[in-house]
This record gives sequence, structure tokens and C-alpha cells, in this order.
Amino acid sequence: MTLPEAIDAHPVRRVSRRLAQMPLLVALAFVVVCVVVMCAVLAPWIAPYDPSLQRLDVGVSLPSSDLILGTDTLGRDILSRSIHGASTALVGPMVIAAGAFAIATILGLLAGYLGGWIDTLIMRWVDFMHGLPSTLIVIVVVGVIGGGYWVAVAVLLIAFVPSDTRIVRSAVLEQRPRPYIDAARSLGISKPRILLVHIIPNILPIIVAYVAIDFAFALVNLAGLSFLGLGVEPGTADWGRMLSENRNLLLGGNPLGTLVPASAMILTAISMNLIGDWLFEEFIG
Amino acid sequence: MTLASATEDFLTVQDLAVSSGHLVITMPTSFHVARGETLAIVGESGSGKSLTAKAIAGLLPPGVIAKGSVKLEGCELNGLSERDWQRLRGRRVSMLLQDPFTMLNPVMRAGRHLDEVLRDDPMFHDRKARRAEVERRLAEVGINNPAVADHFPFQLSGGMSQRIALASSLARDPEILIADEPSTALDVTTQAEIMQLLKRAQAQRGMSLILITHDLRLAFSICDRVLVLYAGSVVEIGRAGDLGSGPFHPYSAGLLLSEPSATRRVKRLVAMPGRVPVAHAVVGQCAFADRCDWVEERCRAARPALEQRAPGRFTRCLRQPEIQGELDALRHAALEVAPAILARPANERPAIKVDAITKVFAGKTTTHALKGVSLHIAPGESVGLVGESGSGKSTLGRCLVGLETPTTGKIEIDGIDAHDFEALQPDDRAYLRRTVQMVFQDPYSTLNPRHSVGKTLAESLRVGQFSGDMNVTIARLLTEVGLTADYAKMRPAQLSGGERQRIAIARALAVSPRLLVCDEPVSALDVSVQAQVLNLFKDLKTARGLSFLFITHDLAVVRQIADRIVVLYLGEVVEEGSVDQVLSEPQHPYTKRLIASIPASTKHIQGAAEL
Repeated sequence: MTLPEAIDAHPVRRVSRRLAQMPLLVALAFVVVCVVVMCAVLAPWIAPYDPSLQRLDVGVSLPSSDLILGTDTLGRDILSRSIHGASTALVGPMVIAAGAFAIATILGLLAGYLGGWIDTLIMRWVDFMHGLPSTLIVIVVVGVIGGGYWVAVAVLLIAFVPSDTRIVRSAVLEQRPRPYIDAARSLGISKPRILLVHIIPNILPIIVAYVAIDFAFALVNLAGLSFLGLGVEPGTADWGRMLSENRNLLLGGNPLGTLVPASAMILTAISMNLIGDWLFEEFIG
Repeated sequence: MTLASATEDFLTVQDLAVSSGHLVITMPTSFHVARGETLAIVGESGSGKSLTAKAIAGLLPPGVIAKGSVKLEGCELNGLSERDWQRLRGRRVSMLLQDPFTMLNPVMRAGRHLDEVLRDDPMFHDRKARRAEVERRLAEVGINNPAVADHFPFQLSGGMSQRIALASSLARDPEILIADEPSTALDVTTQAEIMQLLKRAQAQRGMSLILITHDLRLAFSICDRVLVLYAGSVVEIGRAGDLGSGPFHPYSAGLLLSEPSATRRVKRLVAMPGRVPVAHAVVGQCAFADRCDWVEERCRAARPALEQRAPGRFTRCLRQPEIQGELDALRHAALEVAPAILARPANERPAIKVDAITKVFAGKTTTHALKGVSLHIAPGESVGLVGESGSGKSTLGRCLVGLETPTTGKIEIDGIDAHDFEALQPDDRAYLRRTVQMVFQDPYSTLNPRHSVGKTLAESLRVGQFSGDMNVTIARLLTEVGLTADYAKMRPAQLSGGERQRIAIARALAVSPRLLVCDEPVSALDVSVQAQVLNLFKDLKTARGLSFLFITHDLAVVRQIADRIVVLYLGEVVEEGSVDQVLSEPQHPYTKRLIASIPASTKHIQGAAEL
């Protein structure tokens, strides 16, 4: 026997009940993400200085009352650059996670629901992609094409598709033998409609949870490319870029130049991971 | 309470109440089990029977607590530390669980499960002695091939796994065994074998047995006393014979009446209205009050006490003395036999003709699910398709609605060749979809969890080329299956199993089919709900003139609902004929075995009624 539980299936009420029972850590994660989003949106208004304003006369400086986090070698304000960096830290990973899942959902649905040679074709491609050292490929491709933020985003997006396809396919395979799908089939409902109206709503929670987790991975990967000089244009305020530009200041000069963007990155990634895990546990597991 | 009476009481349960936080799961319960005695705890899902059993064995899940006392020969068990339990479990108290497929550790060989239990015994420190003992124990549960000990659980059938589990729960010769639905997940014939083994092991050891079950027939056939649990309250305790022939509580009476009989067809099953409430909702009143025909003001005023009304017979019904006559009369009336099924004219044109179909599932091991099965169903006829798991009965049903395509053979529906739905003209295919519909077994996944009931029905109506007011028609469909129009707004998670199954039936009816293929439509439902749904099928048959193909393993269900019966065994039809003929005079050995495996308790129930 299962324990009697309050029967409450109304989606809105269910969601609000779950939200009310959110653990503190997840609540903190939501706060972190909200702060980062606000930084990204409101950067021009809340950043004290122009992020690319160079003050060579100031040069490297430690925190002071005027420059709260100090400056880098070119005299640029670390705080302003960190705040402005939030936008590239959010937009790229969001596009990667959502885009990769959009493609993976289509591939996963086709592979999982139709089966047969379509499944074989898609999954062998996935296996092939998994066989490649993806990070290395990304570095080579971006290096050859010539870098740039959106090229890096596009390449990472494609690199994320294979594993996402596997996730979607397995979720579809779980729903497919359920009687409600059989019932729809025996009513003669068309395949596209079964996929769209019956299967997608039931695998959506899994997708949403994994988008959050993918976001965290994309953030770290994209910052890694920027660190190597393959992501954003030189000079752009970007956390990964700042890490590489200011790495010489870590032991002398202004350590905050690397510590602040690094912490921002780690906090955002961990927060998104926590949120993804929590979504997964609450709405699927 | 006067329950703890004699000195021979071996296990005494006094005011045992299970709760989770502030949520009441069972109300204080008292009973006793004598040495060597068999007590059945009978109840529908949600009655709290499994948790009561787990509370006795100290196996409650985290967060669930038991108050009260459980004494084994004067020694208090409730609240023992895990270390003390370790010494007791297996040796004095042992438990056998329901699902044979998840009960064994999948990475441990079958014999290891026994070996683990024997390991602590100084007599079996030697590996060889232990192995010999394992083999002896396996032989005791009817496994004479010692090689089975080296198999992994996934290589074993459900019946085999359950035998291994039984052997390991008996390995230390416990003084009391608590068996929680030990045969529910098994095929009918295997069920009977497991219960025989259990009975034999009990007799040899003089062991006490608590059998938790929802199956009244089983309880009456092998138990000395029966305890009926309803929504967390004991409503009646009595000797199996007494309780079976003249229950003292309206709920026990209702439960007995709603159990379909395998030996005779009744006009209409007696179904209790409504569903089992949660224990928490009925704490301060008679738990059954809301579904009882004899309810009075005082039934709701306070929770009645369990009172002795005859030697050894206890009931929680306040009105038992006044209504006993009515309860008995009701049972006589319910046994009124339905008119004989009229033979069909020989030249009638069948609506469905299945001709020598085979179905082969390719794979690592090729499975021949159907080996040349032929079948016909006349308009308005109910055909029962009986067989155990692996007989191919579900595959046949799925072929009829186009969910599977037979490998060879012909299916003709209304003159259309329907063996391959994909190859049909779109018009013909749409016509077939509207002609044949299916109701599935598992009520919990038969509906799309993200769609409201209304949306599910609307989709089906649109397929049936419906024009008119959608809401009115949905309301009419819901009324037809015994629900109200309010259900349209609900989602599957808010509904009970029986309600979901009704919605699934309404979904099938929405396209106005002429044949309904029902794959074990009531096997997952509680007895009282099962009777409601079977009555619904009977009504639909009369009102809509529907033909039915009932796929089931339950002969009692077939007896109540089918006109003709087809017995499928390992992909072949082994027997076919009218229900009365096949069930009364089975010809094929398999059919005979199937009928012999029905627990014989119905003798109690009906023997009394015939007096």
C-alpha cells in the first residue's frame, strides 16, 4: 500500500504547493540567478562606470572607496565589467541549452516514437558524435572559423545535441508503451498529433529540468572558450575573458580581477544545476 | 476488549495504530493469533492491511509510526531496536512480500538468497553443508532441480521467484509468517500451487500464519479466522466459516456479494456505491457509514466499538442485531440466477472473423505469441478470451484494434480485411477505428495524465466525426458510464482506479464502436469497484447492443459477463464453447487445471445460501 497522499492534481495548485516546500538551498539558487539576470538586464544603469572605459593613469589598483573592486591593468573598473559580463554569461548558455534541446526534442521524438531505421540512423549519429573528443573539436572548429561569440555558441549548441537526444529518446521510450498512447493509436489519431499532444506534454518536465542543467555546462564551456581567446571579441566584458586577461594579477596587483568573475561563474553554474536537479526531483523523480 | 482471551495466544496485538505525522492510517486495532493458526486480514486497497502487517514485523517505512503493543508470547515487539529485531526476524517472525519480481536481489543468484539466511546458523558454517541445506529447502518448495539455485532472478518465472522467496522466508523456521498478498501477482494456476506450498509448510512446522489479501475466496479457503479491515478500522472478526456464511457487518456482506461467483451467473452483481475513504476522514464515525444502506444518526455520532455478538464473532456494526435478517435475505436475493444464455442461430453472420492468425515477435529469441488462432464474434455477443500470462491473449486483442499486425492469417471486420491497418484505404481504416475500440488493463496509465477528462473525451469524439454540442455530449457520455458531468474538469490524478477505468470506457464509447475489446479491464480494481464496472459492462451490452471480447485470466469475471468462452494456452485455442458448458464440463486438461485452481471458498458462501 502506498501512503495516502493529498489528491491534488491541479497543475497550478500543485506547482505552488511544491514551490512553498522548496528547500532553502534551492531558494538561494533562485536568488542568485535572479541577481545575475538583473545584472544582465540593468547593467547600463547599475554599473558605476562604462565597462570599457580605460584609465591608463590609474592602471592596476586595489579596491578603494571609489572603485569598489579595484581596476585591471588598463584601469577598467572590475565591478562594472563583472556586471556587464552577466549578459554574455546568460544569453549564450541559454541559447545553447534551449537550442540544443529544441533540436534534440525533434530527433529524440522521431527516434523514440518511430523506431526502425530512423532510430538507427539518429542514434548511430549520436554514437558517432559521442566518439569524438568534443571539446577538442570545438576548439579546432572555432579556431579555424575564426572565433567570435556566436560562432562559439553555434558550435557548442551542436556539440550538446547528441546527449540531449539520448535523454529525450529515453523519455519517449518510457511513455510510448503506456496504454494512453495505445488508446490514442487505436482511436486513429495521427502520429504528429500523438507526438505533439500526448507525448510532448508528458516529457516536458524532463526537458525543462535538463535545460537548466545544460545551461550550467554551457556556461562553463563558453567561458572556457573565452578564456582561450576563442569566444568573445577581445575587450568585451565577459567573465571567461576577464579570467584570462587578469590572470597575471592574481598574485600581484588586484586578485579580485579573477576572483570576482570566477565566483560569479561558479555560483551561477551551481545555482542552475541545483535548480535543474530540484525541478527534476520534484516534477519527475 | 475481550479479544485477548485464551492462554494459547501466541501473538497478541493490542490497540495497534499506524500513523504518518498527524495523518491516521489505521485506528487502534486489536487481535490475536494462536500458535499454528491462520488469520486472514482482508481489505481493499487503502484499508491499511499492508501497513498493519509491516507494523507487526517492525518494517514500517520511515516517517510512519505504530503506537500500541504487539506481543509475541508476552515479549513486546513494538519499539524494539533494529539490533533486537535482527535476532527475531527470520527465526521467530518472518515476512513474505507480494511482488516476486522485485523481492529478490537481481544480482544475487537464487540460492544465495537462502544461503545468506542460513549463514549465521552454526550448523551451516560449512559451505557444503549449507549448499546441501539450500537444496533441501528448495525441494521443500517444490524446486527439485538443484541447478535453479545457480540461476539469477531474471531467469526465473514469477512462480519460481515466489518459491525462492518463500523458501528464504521459511529458512530459519519462523514461528509466525506474515504473507502480504503472496500470490496476487501470479497466474491463477501458479497461485494455487504457492498457496498449497504455504499451507503445507505451515502444517509441517506448526507455524502461525497471517495472510494479507484482497481475495475473499482465498481467505475463506485456507484460513481459520478472518479479520475484515475497512479504511483503517477492523469492522469484523470471525471464523472463516461463520463469516463466509453469514457476515455480521454490512461491509463484509457487501464485499462477499460483490465478489463475482465462478460457478453461477447472477443477474446483476451487488456493487457497493462509492469508494473506500481514507482512514483519516472517518476517524470519529463508523468508517463505512457513507456507503451503508442501513446508516443511522448514531452511526456518525461516534466510532462504534468492536463488540462480541456471538462466540468468537466480533463486529463494529451498531445495528447488527436488527439488520442481520436483511443482510441474510439480501444474500439470498443476490444469488438469483440470470436467465440462461440463448444459443445463437447457427447461420448468423459474425461481425468479426479471425482466421488462423499467427504472430511472431522477432528478437534474440523468437517468440511465437499466436500459433494459428481462429475466432469469431457475432453482433451483440460477448466472448471471453481466457488464458494465463504468455498465452497470447493480449496480443490477439491488440491485433483486432490494429495495434499489432499479425504475421500471417486473416482478420475480417464487417467484411473489411483488417489484418494490416497500415495497408488499408484511409476511409476503411477510419471506419474500423470507429467500429472496434479497446479498454486497457492498467487504470493508472490508461489516461494521459496531462489531459483533463473533458479533453480526453473531446479528442475521441472528434475522431468519431462528432458534430453538435461537445459539452452536452461529454456530459451524456459521463452519465452513461455512471459519473457526473463535473468529472470533465478533473484530471486523472484526482480520480480513483475505478473512475479512471470508467473514463477509459467512455473514451472508447465516444466513437460509438460496435465491438469493445477489453483487456483485463477489472483486474487492477478492488472487488467492490470491480462489481460496479462489471455491471456497467452488462448495462452497455443491453443499452448499446455492443459486442465484447473480454480478455481475462479470471474465470469468475468470464462467468458473469461472457456468453461464449475461448481458452487460449501457449498461443493456441485449446477449448471453445458456451460459458456454462466449458466451465462446468471442461474437456482440455489445461481448462480443467484452470478451474481446479479457483479457491474453493465459494462453497462456504453459497452452501449457506442454499440452506
